[in-house]
Amino acid sequence: MKRAHLVAAACLVVLLLYPVVNPWQPYPQGVLLLGFLLAVQATSWNIISGYAGYVSLGHSMFLGVGSYTVGILAVAWGVNPLWVAPLGGVTATVIALLIGTVVLRTRGHAFVIITIAMLLAAQIIAVNFRSLTHGSDGITLELPFWHRDFQNIPFYYAFLLLLVLTVLFSAWIRRTKFGTGLVAIREDEGKAATIGVDTTRFKVTAYAASAFFIGMAGGVYAYYLTFINPVGSFAILGSVTIVLAALAGGRGTLYGPVLGAFIVNLISEAATVYAGGVQSRVLLFGGALVLVVLFLPKGILPTVEAWWRRRNPAPVEYIEQPAALAVRERAPVPESGEGALPEPGEALLSVRGVTRRFGGLTAVDEVSLDVRQGTITGLIGPNGSGKTTLFNLVTGGLPADSGEIWFDGRRVDGLRPWRRCHLGLGRSYQVTRLFKEMTVRENVVAPLADSRWRTMWSDAVRGHEAERARELLGLVGLGRFAEQRAGALSYGQQKLVELAQVLMLEPKLILLDEPAGGVNPSMLDRITEVIRELNANGVTFLVVEHNIPLVLDLCDQVAVLAGGRVIAEGPPLSVRQDPAVLDAYLGHDWTPAVR
Amino acid sequence: MAHLVQAIALGLLIGGVYALMASGLTLIFGVMQIINVAQGAFLVLVAMVTWWLWNRTGIDPIVASLVTTPMMFGLGWLTFRLLISRIRGSSPSMSVLLTFGLALVIEGVLNLTAGNKFKSATPAYFEESFRVASISFPKAQVFGFVAAVGVLGVLYYVLNRTWTGRAIRAATQNPAGAALVGVSAAGTAALAFAIGSATAGVGGSILSVLYPFFPASHYEWISRLLGIVVLGGLGSLPGAVAGAVILGLAETLTATYGSLGWSTLVFYLVIMAVLLVRPQGLFGARLREDAA
Repeated sequence: MKRAHLVAAACLVVLLLYPVVNPWQPYPQGVLLLGFLLAVQATSWNIISGYAGYVSLGHSMFLGVGSYTVGILAVAWGVNPLWVAPLGGVTATVIALLIGTVVLRTRGHAFVIITIAMLLAAQIIAVNFRSLTHGSDGITLELPFWHRDFQNIPFYYAFLLLLVLTVLFSAWIRRTKFGTGLVAIREDEGKAATIGVDTTRFKVTAYAASAFFIGMAGGVYAYYLTFINPVGSFAILGSVTIVLAALAGGRGTLYGPVLGAFIVNLISEAATVYAGGVQSRVLLFGGALVLVVLFLPKGILPTVEAWWRRRNPAPVEYIEQPAALAVRERAPVPESGEGALPEPGEALLSVRGVTRRFGGLTAVDEVSLDVRQGTITGLIGPNGSGKTTLFNLVTGGLPADSGEIWFDGRRVDGLRPWRRCHLGLGRSYQVTRLFKEMTVRENVVAPLADSRWRTMWSDAVRGHEAERARELLGLVGLGRFAEQRAGALSYGQQKLVELAQVLMLEPKLILLDEPAGGVNPSMLDRITEVIRELNANGVTFLVVEHNIPLVLDLCDQVAVLAGGRVIAEGPPLSVRQDPAVLDAYLGHDWTPAVR
Repeated sequence: MAHLVQAIALGLLIGGVYALMASGLTLIFGVMQIINVAQGAFLVLVAMVTWWLWNRTGIDPIVASLVTTPMMFGLGWLTFRLLISRIRGSSPSMSVLLTFGLALVIEGVLNLTAGNKFKSATPAYFEESFRVASISFPKAQVFGFVAAVGVLGVLYYVLNRTWTGRAIRAATQNPAGAALVGVSAAGTAALAFAIGSATAGVGGSILSVLYPFFPASHYEWISRLLGIVVLGGLGSLPGAVAGAVILGLAETLTATYGSLGWSTLVFYLVIMAVLLVRPQGLFGARLREDAA
């Protein structure tokens, strides 16, 4: 990464000097200038579509919005367009906020669709709102105020400045918790929500942030062209070049979109000169987009980086067991400082008559269940008995059809997943759901403790968090893997990283979905030890597990779910001998082992 | 009052045609969670071919769909085999970009071969209307509507009453399970993609009569169709029909009481209003596997 910054700085110096060294070459300057403009757009696009993974196909709309805002205001107020260019950015941001608030509340595909529609809607407005936009006639702006001898050099530096600002902005976002949250959303949005990421707010903010510099650049661009009209300002081909540039360079990387922008711009220029202009450009860009998606889906920079890493692999010591078993430091004590916990024995989590249906199937049927403060409560039951669905209802991944869920004295069944996380509810998954493209350390520090804006804009890894992450990784014996990509770890290791991730926020209640699944016996001992230590420090557990000896050994209380209903509840021993349980869970032909 | 009834009648007729056009999109999404952004380009391509056939041979544009439908079935199948199947398993946004690229390629090819001018097929009945009391039903719209409803009926029959349809629906709901009972997921997906594309064969032929078009028209069409399926709920066929009728009514009512230029915008406002209340669209549903 350091090397990349150096290269970028060197390129910047060259670009800064170029007009000074070679002032009488308007054509290459013009090509570079348009390259800067495209790079500003691609870098901005990358914030929502690269970091957060929500592809926008209508991003050139913001360029047009900025152009029109500045064009209209400059003419109406009689001021130089450059002075009002930032207002172009403001308008673009506000419009992105409005669209995002409506469309980004759900997961999935509505967003990409609406972005295409909004680009065309913007064109419709520009054509038909004649009193404001002069319709298809367009708006003519004043000519640049500087002497002709300066040519477009002031514009060259204006766009270069915008590019530098945009890249710095993008780099800064990536370094904050906001940036980590966006990547988490891209990797696994549902999981991101349960570790405290307010996904709606993050996505909407990212969309708004991705609009600002494009809007501002649009204002400068309008002045550069001195003329704006609906077709030129809201061209879909503009969006295509943005997407193509960012994709070819490397979506989700800092410099990829910039690199891609220069390449796409050069190709576009070559097409105009050698291949007959706009007509062939559609075909060219379309073909290029197809080829990039098929053969270079990760983009140039990540591909080169991967190649470099294969050539120069970083040494990793694969010694899982000794490391894990050697670590005998004390488990970190959760500082349960804020908000006194309920007295031991009081219900921390209380599920009251909760039902959830999927079509005709009632997965969870009128379940009532208390998890008392300070206990390790087991939840067992045959496959398909509704255990994981119950977890999803408790953490907020699914809404319940009826019933109430209370946690720590508050009713939580109407709250979004991240709010429940902030209240002290943590969970692990049956099949691990780490953010595979992030490093192990990034995974562990990804959870967010609250929904304050200040937290969102703070450094991704603050000092005490790095310290705690190190402790936790030590606790699960994976300290050596902190810088590895999480996806490269074995399944059992991922399970442990997920446990460390849950512990990061010091939750009051941890829901563990099959902690023993896929973990070898010695590692399992380690896990149960960690659970006991944490429990001794006041953390309550609700554990789904098929390993019955483990459950009987670990848990103070056991509830048995079958067919979506609680059929038995009580201390392990009494549950073990409950005929209803034996019948439902172990089958009719089960005979008790003689002890 | 007569204006209102006229506008509603026209809106319903157009809505039927829109429903047919959107059905392919929603079918493909339902089976493989792929948004075929090239569907608009498919429509324009068919319209262009239909226009060419009509211009050369005088064959009726709507009858020409007997030729264009198999053509689109083949093109859809090839598209799936050559392009889409290569990126199955990567993130869904890649398929959006891929089909978007394909749409641009089709536009570019049409630009170079057919030229960048507005075209419209104008058969003899183009300007004629059926009249019931004071309400007029333009013949082109009526024929388009009848053809659209017919094709939708066949589509519904195939999906719900035939083995192929059951296989497609099985693969929609549970690809792994479908594979276990002998349904080839890849084969079914290719078939669904081909059928979805084939609906553009009829849709595009109707389009060539009802609307002037040129190569870049596909942006306008795809955003309309995508609007319909978002409004109705992605992947839901009844949703697509409802969305299409709402679009048809929004357009004719705005054109009657406002101006034609704003009609598409009004539809987008309706979509935004609906998404504000129901983020998953009118008929969209949440499934167990959608959960966090």
